[in-house]
Amino acid sequence: MKQHFSRRQFLNLIGAVGGSSALLKASLAMGLMQSNDFQGPVSVAPVKGKNKAKVAVLGAGISGLSTAYELERAGYDVVIIEASFRAGGRNMTVRHGDKIDEMGHTRYCQFDQDENLYFNCGPARIPGHHKRLLHYCRALNVPLQIKANSNQLAYIQDEKINGGKPIRQVDYRADANGFLSEMMSKSIDKGAFEQQLSEEDTENFLSYLKAFGSLNEKGKYTGSDRAGSQRDRMLFPPTPKAPMPLHDVFKSDVWRGVSFASQIYDWVEPLMEVKGGMDGIVKGFLRNISSPVELNAQVRKIHNLSDGVEIAYEQAGKLNTIKVDYCFNNIPAYFMAGIENNLSPDYLNALNKFKRGHLFKIGFQMRERFWEKEGIYGGITYTSQDNAQLWYPSHDIHAAKGVMLGAYCWDEKQCARFEAMTPEQRFKYAAQCGENIHPGYSGYIENAVSIPWARMNNQMGCGIHMEKEDWEHCLPILQKPDGRHFMIGDQISQHSGWQEGALAASQQALSQFNQLQASITSSHGAAYVS
Amino acid sequence: MLVKNTFFALVVSSFSVSASVDKTDWTPTPQQFKYCTVCHGNQLMGNPNIGAPRLSGLSAWYIEKQLQAFKQGKRGMPDQSVPAHEMQSMVKELSDEQIHQAAIWASKTQSPVPSETIVADAKAGESLYKQCAACHGADGKGNQTIGAPALAGLHDWYLLNQFDAFKSGSRGNVQGDSQAQQMQAAANLVNSEQDLKAIVAYIQQLEKHEEHN
Ligand SMILES: Cc1cc2nc3c(=O)[nH]c(=O)nc-3n(C[C@H](O)[C@H](O)[C@H](O)COP(=O)(O)OP(=O)(O)OC[C@H]3O[C@@H](n4cnc5c(N)ncnc54)[C@H](O)[C@@H]3O)c2cc1C
Ligand code: HEC
Ligand code: HEC
Repeated sequence: MKQHFSRRQFLNLIGAVGGSSALLKASLAMGLMQSNDFQGPVSVAPVKGKNKAKVAVLGAGISGLSTAYELERAGYDVVIIEASFRAGGRNMTVRHGDKIDEMGHTRYCQFDQDENLYFNCGPARIPGHHKRLLHYCRALNVPLQIKANSNQLAYIQDEKINGGKPIRQVDYRADANGFLSEMMSKSIDKGAFEQQLSEEDTENFLSYLKAFGSLNEKGKYTGSDRAGSQRDRMLFPPTPKAPMPLHDVFKSDVWRGVSFASQIYDWVEPLMEVKGGMDGIVKGFLRNISSPVELNAQVRKIHNLSDGVEIAYEQAGKLNTIKVDYCFNNIPAYFMAGIENNLSPDYLNALNKFKRGHLFKIGFQMRERFWEKEGIYGGITYTSQDNAQLWYPSHDIHAAKGVMLGAYCWDEKQCARFEAMTPEQRFKYAAQCGENIHPGYSGYIENAVSIPWARMNNQMGCGIHMEKEDWEHCLPILQKPDGRHFMIGDQISQHSGWQEGALAASQQALSQFNQLQASITSSHGAAYVS
Repeated sequence: MLVKNTFFALVVSSFSVSASVDKTDWTPTPQQFKYCTVCHGNQLMGNPNIGAPRLSGLSAWYIEKQLQAFKQGKRGMPDQSVPAHEMQSMVKELSDEQIHQAAIWASKTQSPVPSETIVADAKAGESLYKQCAACHGADGKGNQTIGAPALAGLHDWYLLNQFDAFKSGSRGNVQGDSQAQQMQAAANLVNSEQDLKAIVAYIQQLEKHEEHN
C-alpha cells in the first residue's frame, strides 16, 4: 500500500524520530523556515594545560558580558573592565533612586519605591526570532512575558489631520482598507486586470477585496463596524462612524509610517519583554559570571604586543596596567581615537568611520493609569509632535500607578531639540505635547526621567552607523582580530541597535578566537618539531 | 617565556595589576571630571570623532576663560555648531570653583601631539603666520596679556573650524570681550581657504619642531 505524506506530516514524523534538530535541518532543506544560523552559542575551545590564558573584556555591555560568560565557562581567566559605575551599557532600567548619568546633567530617578515602577531606558522589546538573546534568557533564567507593541485602540495624532485631534488607529485602518478595496474593485470592474485574471479569478478577488475593506453590496466603502460603533454595541445595533475624508487618511505621514509597523520583521507580534525590567538580562549574566567586573574603570591604553595585549585603565585616580593574552573590546568605536593604542592603521581607520546615532526617551510616573480608562492596555500612540511616541505599559494592568513612556525620538532633529534642553525643560515640553493627545495629561505626571543617549556618559549614542560604501569595506576588517585584539558590540554587526546584534558580534568574535587559538597552538607545535 | 610562565603561575586567578611606573607623563583625572575624558580622551588628547580638541598644552587661564564663556552662554549656544553646544552643556551646572579646578587640572595633562590630517603648503603658511604671531607668538605658544591662546599642539581640524567660527561670527562676537573681538577682527586677515590651510599646516609644524629639539 502506497502512503502519501504531506510535507507537514513528513516533518511531524521526522520530528518524532530525529528530535527537533533533525526537524530543523529538514525544514531548512525544504525551505519552510527562514534560515538563522544560530544553533546555540559558539563552543569556545577549552583551556589546555596548566596556564590559563588571560582575557580582558573592555566594556560590560551585553556583548562584553556574553563574551566573558562564554570564555569563563571554557576555563579562561577573565576580567571585565567597565568605565561606568554600573554594568549593562545601553541595557539600562531605572527605578527609585537610580543615578541617571547624563553628562552635564546628572539626575536621580524619583519614581516611588515600588517594583512595578521602572523604566526601560534602552532596549524594551524582543521578537521571537532573536534566538541568541532568547537562548541566554533561557540559560540564565530570565523570565519573559508578552509585551503589546501595537494597540489598535491607541491613537494616531497628526497636526495635519482632524484639527490635530487624535484618532484611534482602528479608525485609520478600517478607512484605509475600505478606500483601497473600493478603488481596486472599481479598477477590476473597468477591466484593468483582464489579462491576468480569468472570470473566476475576478470573482474571487472581488470577494476578497470586499472582505478586506468591509465593502457594501455595491462594492462601496461607507464606514465599517470594524472601527466600533457610535452607540453602545451591546445594546444597540452597530452604527459605524462615517469614514474620514479619503484625502486625510493617506495624507498623514504618521499613519503611513506606522500602518505596517507590525510587519517589520523585528516587530512581528507577539513581542516579549523581561519581567520586572530589561536589565534582568544584565543581572542574569552577573549572577552567572564569577570573573571580576571592575567598575568605574576607564580604559586609557590598548597596546598589542607580540604575545598578548597590554591594557591600562584609570580607576579612582590610579592608572593600572595589566597584561593579558587576548582582549575583547566592547567600547563604542568612536571613543577609540581618544584611547592611546597601536592598532594597525587600516583597523583604526575603519573604527574611525563610525558615526554616533541619536535616540531619546522620557519616562513619566503617572499618578493614575488614565490610559486604561480610555481602553488602552499596552501598545503605542504615534504623534507628529516632537515627543513622537507614547508607550503604555503592558505589565501590572490596573495597578494604582504606572510609568509610561512620554517621548521616544529617532529623528535626529527631534533628538537635538531635546538634547539641547535641561531635563526639567524636556519634561515640560513633552508634557505639553502629551496634552494634545490626552487632555489633562500633565496633571497625572508625578515625576520623570529623560535619557538622551547621545549625551549619556560613556555611551554618547545608539544606532552607530557608517556610510554604506565604508561599511562594506570596513566591517570585514573589524570582524577579524587585529593582533590579539577583537572588536565586539552591536556595532560589529549588521544589526546595531538590537541586543541580538551585540550577541551575534560576540559569537562571531569567539569563533574567530577559536581559529586564532588553533593557529597559535599549531604553529607552536611546528616550532617544537623543527 | 620562563619568566612569563612563573609569573602567571603565581597569580592563579587574579590579575596582576601594576600601577604605572613613570608617573611623570601621567596626571590623574579628578573624580568629578572623569566625564571630560570621555569626549576629550585620555589625558585630554582630543577626539576628532566627537569634535573635542586636545586640551593638554593649553594654559589654565585660557581654559578657565573658555569654560566661563561656555557657561555664560557666550560660546556654544544651541544655534551654533552641534559639538560646541555639546560642550556648553557640560559646564552649565559647574560652579566657578569647579571650573577653576578643571582648568588647573586640564593644563597639567600631557598627551602626544596630534598628527596632521590636512595637506597644505606649510612653507607658504610660514609667512602668512606672521600676521598671527603678533598675538599668538612666533612659537605659537600664546600670550596671556593679549589673551591669545597657544595654537601649537591643537588639532589642525580644530584650528580650521574655530577660525571659521570667528569668521562667521558664531564665536568671539561677545559684547565687552575686547580680546575675543580682536580675534574676530583678525579672522578677516585671511581670505582664502588655501591660505588658512597653509597657516594651519605651519602651526602644526611648530609643535613638532619643538619635540625634536
Ligand atoms: C533607546 C534604545 C532602544 C533600544 N531598543 C532595543 C530593543 O527594544 N530591543 C533590543 O534588543 N535592543 C534594543 N536596543 C539596543 C541595545 O540596547 C543594544 O544593541 C545593546 O545593549 C548593545 O550592547 P553592546 O554590548 O553592543 O554595547 P553597549 O551596551 O553600548 O556597551 C558598551 C560598554 O562599554 C563601556 N565603555 C565605554 N567606554 C569605555 C572605556 N573607555 N573603558 C571601559 N568601558 C567603556 C560602556 O560604559 C558600556 O557599558 C535599544 C537601544 C536604545 C538606546
Ligand atoms: C560631550 C563631549 C564633551 C565633554 C564631556 C567635554 N567636552 Fe570640552 N569640548 C567638547 C567639544 C566638542 C569642544 C569643541 C567646541 C567647539 O567646537 O567650539 C570642546 C571644547 C572645550 C574647550 C575649549 C578648548 C579651546 O581650545 O578653546 C575646553 C577648555 C573644554 N572643552 C574643556 C572641557 C572640560 C574641562 C570638560 C569636563 C568638565 C569637558 N571639556 C567636557 C566636548 C566635550
Ligand atoms: C589681535 C590679536 C590676535 C591676532 C592678530 C590673531 N589672534 Fe587668534 N586669538 C586671539 C585671541 C585673544 C583669542 C582667544 C579668543 C577668546 O578668548 O575666545 C584667539 C583665538 C584663536 C583661535 C582659537 C583657539 C582655540 O583654542 O580655540 C584660533 C584658531 C586662532 N586664534 C587663530 C588665529 C590665526 C590663524 C591668526 C592669524 C591669521 C590669529 N589667530 C590672529 C588673538 C589674536
